[in-house]
Amino acid sequence: MATGIKDKVVLLGMGLTEFGERWNMSSDDLMVEAFTEALADAGIEKSAIEAAWLGAALDDVNIGNSAIPLATALRLQNIPVTRVENMCATGTEALRGAVYAVAAGAVDVALALGVEKLKDTGFGGLPIKTKGLANDLWMPYGSAPGTFAQLAGAYRARHGISYEDLKRGMAHVSWKSHQNGALAPKAHLRKPVDMDTILNAPMIADPLGLYDCCGVSDGAACAIVTTPEKARALGKALEDLVAVKAMQICTSHGWENAYGEWDGASVRNTQIAARRAYDEAGIRNQKADIGVAEVHDCFSITELVTMEDLGLSDAGRGAYDFLDGVYDRDGAIPAQVDGGLKCFGHPVGASGLRMAYEVYAQLTDRAGQRQLRDVNFGLTHNLGGQPSNSVSSVSIFGRL
Amino acid sequence: MSANSVKTASGYLPLLRFDRSVARKELRWSGLGGSGKGRRAVAGWDEDALTMAVEAARLAIGEATPEGVTFASTSSPFVDRSMAGLVAEALHLPPALATQDTGGSRRAATSALIRALSGTGTELVAAGEKRRATAGTTQIMAFGDGAGAVSVGPGAGIATCLATVTINADLLDIVTTTERGTPYESEARFVRDEAVSEVYVPGITAALDKAGLTGADIALAVVPEPVGGTYRAVAKLTGLTAPNLCEEIAAAAGDLGAAMPIFGLALALDRAKPGERVLVAGFGNGCDILVFEVTGAGDRSATDALGQGAVLSSLSRFLNLAGALVLDWGPRAEVNQKVSASTLLRHGRDMHGFVGGRDAGGNVQFPKTPVPVRPDATGPEAYEDVVLRDVPGRVASITADRLNFTPDPPFYFGLVQFENGARVTMEHCDVEGPTPEVGESVRMRFRIKAMDRQRQFRTYFWKAAPLTRPSLTEEG
Repeated sequence: MATGIKDKVVLLGMGLTEFGERWNMSSDDLMVEAFTEALADAGIEKSAIEAAWLGAALDDVNIGNSAIPLATALRLQNIPVTRVENMCATGTEALRGAVYAVAAGAVDVALALGVEKLKDTGFGGLPIKTKGLANDLWMPYGSAPGTFAQLAGAYRARHGISYEDLKRGMAHVSWKSHQNGALAPKAHLRKPVDMDTILNAPMIADPLGLYDCCGVSDGAACAIVTTPEKARALGKALEDLVAVKAMQICTSHGWENAYGEWDGASVRNTQIAARRAYDEAGIRNQKADIGVAEVHDCFSITELVTMEDLGLSDAGRGAYDFLDGVYDRDGAIPAQVDGGLKCFGHPVGASGLRMAYEVYAQLTDRAGQRQLRDVNFGLTHNLGGQPSNSVSSVSIFGRL
Repeated sequence: MSANSVKTASGYLPLLRFDRSVARKELRWSGLGGSGKGRRAVAGWDEDALTMAVEAARLAIGEATPEGVTFASTSSPFVDRSMAGLVAEALHLPPALATQDTGGSRRAATSALIRALSGTGTELVAAGEKRRATAGTTQIMAFGDGAGAVSVGPGAGIATCLATVTINADLLDIVTTTERGTPYESEARFVRDEAVSEVYVPGITAALDKAGLTGADIALAVVPEPVGGTYRAVAKLTGLTAPNLCEEIAAAAGDLGAAMPIFGLALALDRAKPGERVLVAGFGNGCDILVFEVTGAGDRSATDALGQGAVLSSLSRFLNLAGALVLDWGPRAEVNQKVSASTLLRHGRDMHGFVGGRDAGGNVQFPKTPVPVRPDATGPEAYEDVVLRDVPGRVASITADRLNFTPDPPFYFGLVQFENGARVTMEHCDVEGPTPEVGESVRMRFRIKAMDRQRQFRTYFWKAAPLTRPSLTEEG
């Protein structure tokens, strides 16, 4: 019988580039920068890595197909290297591949690296991708803000919250992330923004204004994972080890957008992945146990709804919890402490690993000005695609 | 008297009406603003001659399956692709069907109607026009976008054709070459004089004689005017005393080209009483004249189309929609939308007809997939076709997207819940007011889905539109 992933794998080392408009850095440069930090943190030689996973979501503006660009950039010699892509959950998928390989006993040390070079598109926002030749005949070409803005109207209809209250709750989501991003040296956006500016920003996709949307960034993030035993053998102290407690992914199969029961006000994949992750990690009271959350705040409404889907806010209370400061850095469940996608940035393939990096930093007391107290468990969450057709990942990390 | 009779006749106009006084004011400096009187119907960026013809045709056809479909237009979006075939697919008609595309003259629809009336089978004639013209011309203000459709067949209908006459005359009031793409006009006085003396008077006189009627016997006339005042002169010479509905249509919606006489026929049948006679003309390098005796009532679609809409008061938006203004939309508009012909052949019929499927468990979904979306489905199932175009729907989620490129921002899209259980993420169209709310009712419209601007190709699908249109009377 399957026993899950809990405590079978630890983060041996992690690396993260500065996110942002890295005009002078290629994808290769970004990969090398993140990997160099991770390798030093892990305290191993490159030759100790036995397998690698690359997360890269947008191949047309990044590095093209296959995992060869990673093997080439890092000169990983004669080991299996695999590229994964699962929209905004891509970085987490890369980590999951490496973690599963170690947990399975196939290798002792594995690498996961996510990279995205979005600023080479030549325009703002994500590239517009085909949805497949047959789907293009009928599916709308909605932008990312447009697809997530759908949550807002459905949420208001379900919970009876006014447009104005929801806008204020969403504005607080972004306000909080800008406050936090200012304390993250590697973040893309490091400037606090006041509530009025957020509320009065130009509309992007009703009701999402400019500050309700994360930007797009260049960046890379990297993790080297191994077993607890191997980590100890490499000289790591037990108290320094951050273990993977749970990694769950749930993927749409058409129920939301084609079957007719979904009301559009929540993301069922997140709810399912969260429930499984809490079970896998042995968490019984997530509101009390989760000490830091890095969720997929691609848009303010996404973060707001996600907190309900994760069971951190009660249904219909998300906006009010944000306004009450529950998710502020000094709140009960600090979220997006590094600024999140909103301010740290969102190089798609790297984002899941960036979230793990922040949780790792918090659990190992290396978060600098952002350091929180008494964090036992950290949660990361990605939401790829769109609420009606999504990939959702929930991962939990904690000390051994 | 023709063998076939008119069974139904319908009219369709796009939502927007450009107020011509705006052009007169804005272009006063140039002297190219036109008379500034009335309004013209303006197709959305995602409408063309085909989509509007489909909208008229779906009204006219009801549940019937004709033996033939004719598409008539001088502005067909394709030169060598059967639009009649796409009309048939959009209406989910069987593939074994006589289809014909006709153009080459604004008489295309009336000529097709004459042939259909002289036959013995059931036929649908659908005409649509979205004619391009350059900014500053008389035509860009005079033209209107719209469509009409008429179904004919044996037995009693709503109108019986008493006589038809065709006059050929190579009178070039306007002429559009494939190379130029937009019309070039002749002097108005020459056109009016010759249209009267060489085209209309001989045609109408002969038709009235053939029907055994005098001009005074005609209750309503549908006589397209190449130049204002043409009908007045014709009426004097032929004894016609009836009002010309084309003057009303031209003032409210513009000259609908090949669709004008069909739209006019639909409007006339809304207004005429049984026993009254209606004269319908097609004009263009001669004329077609048809004289009808009314035996039933119209479906009021043309009346509704004239009375409903939204006023467009921006000259630049109008010119953009009319294709007379080139805007550079920047890199975000550079989306490669190349269509695969094999994919289109495989899926096109279900896309154009908006055909979903009912699975073995009774659930309706779109599109059909090998394994149904129903959670307890365990493997591939056969589906019963379910056409969604007329199924009531409501908004389940929606937004006005201002980041995504569209030629007429914003881009509305979201999830639509159909009454039969199907749900489809789709684009919205014809939204002029605030963003529709969750729960609002919508209806389906056949529209251009995507424009491959690199290869000048377009695909078609259905979009959700508000259930009703505002009244132009109330709007003033």
